Amino acid sequence: MMRVCDLMDRDVIFCYPDDSVKDVVRMMKANQFRPVVVVHESGEVWGIVTRLAVIRFYGEDLEQTRAEDVMRPYRIEVDPQWPIEKAIELMKRTKYEHLIIVDPHAGPRRPIGILCSFDIVHYMSGIETGHYEQILKMPQAWPTSSP
Amino acid sequence: MEERVMRLMQKGSLACSEDTSIRDVAQIMVVNSTHYCTVMNQNHEVMGIISARSILKAFGRDLDQTKAKDILVPYTFTITPSTPLKEAIQLMDKRKIEHLIVVSDRPGSKAILGLLHVEDIVDRMARDEERQPS
Repeated sequence: MMRVCDLMDRDVIFCYPDDSVKDVVRMMKANQFRPVVVVHESGEVWGIVTRLAVIRFYGEDLEQTRAEDVMRPYRIEVDPQWPIEKAIELMKRTKYEHLIIVDPHAGPRRPIGILCSFDIVHYMSGIETGHYEQILKMPQAWPTSSP
Repeated sequence: MEERVMRLMQKGSLACSEDTSIRDVAQIMVVNSTHYCTVMNQNHEVMGIISARSILKAFGRDLDQTKAKDILVPYTFTITPSTPLKEAIQLMDKRKIEHLIVVSDRPGSKAILGLLHVEDIVDRMARDEERQPS
């Protein structure tokens, strides 16, 4: 049986509620545009800043806007031991693109991973992880972004 | 000057036909490491787009029997290269779509010119910030 922890991305990028959106955007760019988890100082999950939430502020002063104003509050608790079907049902129902996985043992809602809808597509395609990893990591022949 | 979609859109797109099975669509997306796949009919007219989220709808069904046309998000709104970027961003935000299909300005045209991705907008925002003297 496939579990959530087998598919999730263990690399969680996080920021604090007081960080400016400018820093969040920079972080996203440095991490392949993955979502940024907003955590409280105690390490507890507060919310998530997705790409769609950030572009709302296009052309505005990012320095003055804080991550707290942009984030979507996040209250769902997903256990890493859940079967993957349960997580997919939750994604379908909530229409969330990303689920934050919290550690069930280490105190209050500490994030340990992110499950993205693309991870599920990977699972559905039946292509083994690692098989195409080399191809994907090759430098792009034509850089896609133009100035 | 007002910014337009043509500044940030990427030309060309990944496409499948409406009868492609969902397993093939998933493989196309994984191998190309993209989070979308556009769907065209035989006359090369755009039918819609399949995103990583919409593919979840097919989970639990027979992936080889379910076709792209069963789960695609139909193409209903027109974005052209001369659409103001602000308008496109509002549309993305309202519909919660991360990739917008851009078609030609010609009236009635349904050929895909390219796509506007949410990553490119975030990338642009990051670069704009770096350029500003702090």
